[in-house]
Amino acid sequence: MNYFKTIINGIVKENPTFVLLLGMCPTLATTTSAVNGLGMGVATMFVLICSNTFISLLKNLIPDGVRIPCYIVVIASFVTLLQMLMQAYVPDLYKTLGIFIPLIVVNCIILGRAEAFAAKNNVLASICDGVGIGIGFTIALTLLGFVRELLGNGAVFGYRIFPESMNMLVFVLAPGAFITLGLLMAIVNSVKNRKA
Amino acid sequence: MKKLESNIANMAIVLTAIAIVAGGLLAWVNNVTAGPIEQINNQAIENGIKSVILGDRNIEFRVEDPTEKEGFIFHNVYDTKDNLLGTAVESTDKNGFGGALKVMVGFDPEGVILGYTVLEHSETPGLGAKADGWFRQPATAQAEQSAVVDVLLGAPGKPGNHNIIGMNPGDDLMTVSKDGGQVDAITASTITSKAFLRAVNAAYKAVFGYTAADAVSGASSQN
Amino acid sequence: MEYFLIFIAAIFVNNIVLSQFLGICPFLGVSKKISTAAGMGLAVTFVLTIAVIVTYALQNWVLNPYGLGYLQTILFILVIAGLVQMLEIILKKVSPSLYQALGIFLPLITTNCCILGVSILVANATYNAQGLEPNLLTGVIYAIATSIGFALALIIFAGIREQLAKVRIPKSMEGMAIALITAGLLALAFMGFSGVDHGIAVAAGL
Repeated sequence: MNYFKTIINGIVKENPTFVLLLGMCPTLATTTSAVNGLGMGVATMFVLICSNTFISLLKNLIPDGVRIPCYIVVIASFVTLLQMLMQAYVPDLYKTLGIFIPLIVVNCIILGRAEAFAAKNNVLASICDGVGIGIGFTIALTLLGFVRELLGNGAVFGYRIFPESMNMLVFVLAPGAFITLGLLMAIVNSVKNRKA
Repeated sequence: MKKLESNIANMAIVLTAIAIVAGGLLAWVNNVTAGPIEQINNQAIENGIKSVILGDRNIEFRVEDPTEKEGFIFHNVYDTKDNLLGTAVESTDKNGFGGALKVMVGFDPEGVILGYTVLEHSETPGLGAKADGWFRQPATAQAEQSAVVDVLLGAPGKPGNHNIIGMNPGDDLMTVSKDGGQVDAITASTITSKAFLRAVNAAYKAVFGYTAADAVSGASSQN
Repeated sequence: MEYFLIFIAAIFVNNIVLSQFLGICPFLGVSKKISTAAGMGLAVTFVLTIAVIVTYALQNWVLNPYGLGYLQTILFILVIAGLVQMLEIILKKVSPSLYQALGIFLPLITTNCCILGVSILVANATYNAQGLEPNLLTGVIYAIATSIGFALALIIFAGIREQLAKVRIPKSMEGMAIALITAGLLALAFMGFSGVDHGIAVAAGL
């Protein structure tokens, strides 16, 4: 039951995008469509779960002095692993996400969770935390991609909803990313304020 | 188990051990995935050749090993009786809107464009990135699309022509209509369109030695 | 002339923050005051230039000759982390005044994705070199131009946020929400530069 709470915590109370405000670069850059957002979210989740697991397993073997470099090596290994696997088995998605795949290394969410959670908790809890935060991140990215694709391309997951002449292209371009995320955040805030 | 102390020996050993394990693991995975990655790249090129030369035709064909000359890569395609069906050329223009634009164009032995595909680009999504479909849309498509706008604005619809399939860069002037050519640029993406057509013309020139666009720019520079 | 074009394109047309989405964290995080924004901009310029030279050398003299391309990410991030630490120590000894100005920003820079991102772009030669051959020189020029673009965006944004702090805004829009929308409008303004590099190229007869 406690583990379940950890997962929910990552999705809602500590949602990495809307609450912790971490990992903004991939959030804004890769969400031109719902599928791309989903892909990036799942890729990040994979690295997060793996790194959380291993860091939690190794936490007593790693001296405090070289803590950060060790974490970075672990994270970078999983990112490279993911990079090679994606290149081999989902080349189209790999091409679309481009440089943001290797840049998962510097996504503050992953190092942040390693330091704040995995280094202090047991393996099972750390996996749950990875799953929770990963799902939270994926939901946020997919939602953002969904809104941008709908407004900018008139489509949802590639299926056309509006005719092409009604596209508001700016939402697929850079400014639309900032503005859409800003508005989504305002909506989340207003829901939170009403609850409080 | 107690946490290891942060003395120099421990720190050095642990960091080195983790780095070696990580390096070894990656080397192994690299070994495993190298095959599939190469296969996929080859597959992508092969599919490209098939689509730009054969299009929808379903016939047996054979691709000669690629040759390379001055940055262009040529794939000659033959049918089962060793007749040349056409040549697929990989061509890159460095000055697209966001950087290099790499295309593969298929020519029949007379130089008529059979098909094309955009291999790599960094153009704006929704604008320049349309190049992949734009230059093969039939001429009527745009006329139909703008009909509503024309009724509203009262402007007569002008059927645009941006279908390059079936054109021959040796006879047809393949530049954007703004420059006096025969191809309409992608709406709001003239720079991408120009880069695309430059790549196509360059590919033709690499095979056949001259283009119609050459003659025009040569004449105007002489004036 | 092409070198000048790299500058124009990297600073205005393809601004690293506002159109490439690299370095968003410091862009949103340390942009409340112009003075800290300027400090961060300077620190990034400093580190990025050195990092690009070092990683370019590693890529071309170590990774490529020995076929170790798959170690790129892991090696680059370690080198950048080490480099930042080293810079911190050297600056402390050599120039205490500069250390005082940049010191607090240096640890933040390791996880600034624009450093790793630009290093990878330059090492893989996948940046827009304006038709020039991508080599160390164009790479370094691109890196410097990129960091100037980063600093420019950061300072303008900080200027706007300083003013914004003085007005009342709806409660739900406070904080990050309004900052993101402001950034969006700034990005929209920068989109006005698109195509300028090609215009200059044509005017210069390239």
